[in-house]
Amino acid sequence: MTKLNIGMISFAHSHAFSYLEQLLQLPNVHVAGIADAEQTRVADVVKRHGIPYYDDYLALLATDIDAVIICSENAYHAQLAIAAAEHGKHILCEKPLGLSMEEMDQMIDSAHTHGVQLMTAFPCRFVPAVVEAKAAIERGDIGDIVAIKGTNRGTKPDIPWFTDKKLAGGGAVFDHTVHVTDLMNWFMPEARVTEVYALAETLFYEMDIDDAGMVHMKYDNGAVAVLDPSWSRTASFPTWGDVTMEITGTKGSLWIDCFEQKNELFSDTTMKANWYYWGDDMDHYMLKAFVAALLSGEPVPVTGLDGKRSTEVALAAYASAANQQPMKL
Amino acid sequence: MKVAIVGCGTMGRIHAANLAKMPEAELVGAFDVQVAAAEHIAATYDTTAYDDFDTMMKETDPDIVCVLLQTPLHRDYVQQIADYGKHVFCEKPIALQAEEGRAMAMYCKAKGVRLCIGHVLRFFPNYQDMKRRVEGGEIGRVGVVHTKRVGPHPGAASAWYHDFEHSGGVIMDLMIHDIDFLRWTLGDVESVYTINYRNSELDYALVTLQFRNKTIANLEAGWGVPEAFRYGIELAGSKGLLRFDSNSAGSLHIKRQQTQTAGTAEVAVPQSPTYADPYYRELEHFIAAITHDTPLLITAEEACTNIEIVRAAIQSAATGLPIYL
Repeated sequence: MTKLNIGMISFAHSHAFSYLEQLLQLPNVHVAGIADAEQTRVADVVKRHGIPYYDDYLALLATDIDAVIICSENAYHAQLAIAAAEHGKHILCEKPLGLSMEEMDQMIDSAHTHGVQLMTAFPCRFVPAVVEAKAAIERGDIGDIVAIKGTNRGTKPDIPWFTDKKLAGGGAVFDHTVHVTDLMNWFMPEARVTEVYALAETLFYEMDIDDAGMVHMKYDNGAVAVLDPSWSRTASFPTWGDVTMEITGTKGSLWIDCFEQKNELFSDTTMKANWYYWGDDMDHYMLKAFVAALLSGEPVPVTGLDGKRSTEVALAAYASAANQQPMKL
Repeated sequence: MKVAIVGCGTMGRIHAANLAKMPEAELVGAFDVQVAAAEHIAATYDTTAYDDFDTMMKETDPDIVCVLLQTPLHRDYVQQIADYGKHVFCEKPIALQAEEGRAMAMYCKAKGVRLCIGHVLRFFPNYQDMKRRVEGGEIGRVGVVHTKRVGPHPGAASAWYHDFEHSGGVIMDLMIHDIDFLRWTLGDVESVYTINYRNSELDYALVTLQFRNKTIANLEAGWGVPEAFRYGIELAGSKGLLRFDSNSAGSLHIKRQQTQTAGTAEVAVPQSPTYADPYYRELEHFIAAITHDTPLLITAEEACTNIEIVRAAIQSAATGLPIYL
């Protein structure tokens, strides 16, 4: 195979627009179709790039595409991924992978049964600073990891389903726990989270889903971690949010700020400061890695199991917050 | 006002330097059982060194005595000073146990002397500005807060910091600043959960506080972190965000040309000079409160509540469980 035919299912999650833009730049990719029951959402990109449109994702799955990218509401990930696997299509699924452990197990099992690969969309793994940090940790630059303080603070998404528990599965804690947890897991590949203690609250907006929290994790190697997943960036903040990690080791420490490569704009037009990221596009490198793995028959760099392990922490966080006690995994 | 100091270590030097230039104060004596330390301060700031506490009290007859000793020694000296009928300034933490602190406060009250505890963050202009803006509603409802206070291990200079039972560790001695500031600004604490990693070179703590108003805060403190002393705070609210980072407050950077012969050049540490440092403003405030019989910005009871939060944090670290107060 020299060129990969990819179909995209649902643009409910706005990351789909960035993924499409990056796919169109990859010479070994053909975007063979876009399926979205909400035609208006994709009308513009379909027309602009001359991509076949499907109102039913099953019709797209019936074509000879090799892989799909799923950017639906979180609640539909499992149904769409399992259907794709049954049609023999490889899958890149937006995070969080699923709404329950059972769902995610079914997704992973289905991919396995049908001989297709399932990748979870964790683009932060492809940020150069993150890649360098992992190398530094593996070299032993900071000794053994003993503690991590991470943040994935952001702006409340303005797409309505993100704050609808049925469709999203949870609020800020669900949306923003998984990225940094996945990086922690990746940095300590032999270690597993054994306990989660979390707070989840609605403190920034008038709504009935969490927008603030603090998630604490204990790993079986003795490392401990805390993560702020809050939607704590309001309209006046100069950028959408952040992904940071402060890693303390027995021989040193390490600080990652994924989007610190920025220019600062102070504009009288907007009457607020704006930060513009100019570093490498993580989505580009994630998609390149997905495509390269499928074309060469190698394992995808981020698996469904990876997606499950970080989502498990987010699910435990809600259980802990409800019980006001740590939850064992 | 005549002021004497008890304890001539790092805090002794800081307060002596300020007292020496404060118009309202006269530094009349410096006591330390390590007489060389007392003599060094006496020589530097033109006062008298004492190696005996009672001799200093009798000879200098001070109005205020500053207790700048290791925490376990606070109670004994505070009470002795109160016995002399003198006002007491005592460094934080007030004591290793809240009940001990309350006993000290009652003792001073009974002897009719004022007791001021050195929760110096309340005198930092940047923190005062933050509190004003939060209270002015400029960031709306405060949702999530982060604080940071990390640096080299003080045990390298003063071994007692390494003894956990003696110093209380990084939460008791360092993070207590941020605990005090957040309580001052956000109110009572409802729950405490702690992550603490400790070995002989490193004491690193992450404490999550939830306040009665539901605000969530994660406080980070570290001794033995491989960087120059650094502190900061971020308060994220429903209408905006306030933050400060000491790394971004360097108003003066002096850099010297490195030469071949100079060998290892000094690392340029950015400075943030002010005419009166927060320790100066703190003692100035105490003197004014005594002179005009006005209330203190920090009460001994609040200092004791800080110890209760610290103790809950230490207990949470030991049990691995959250503490609901």
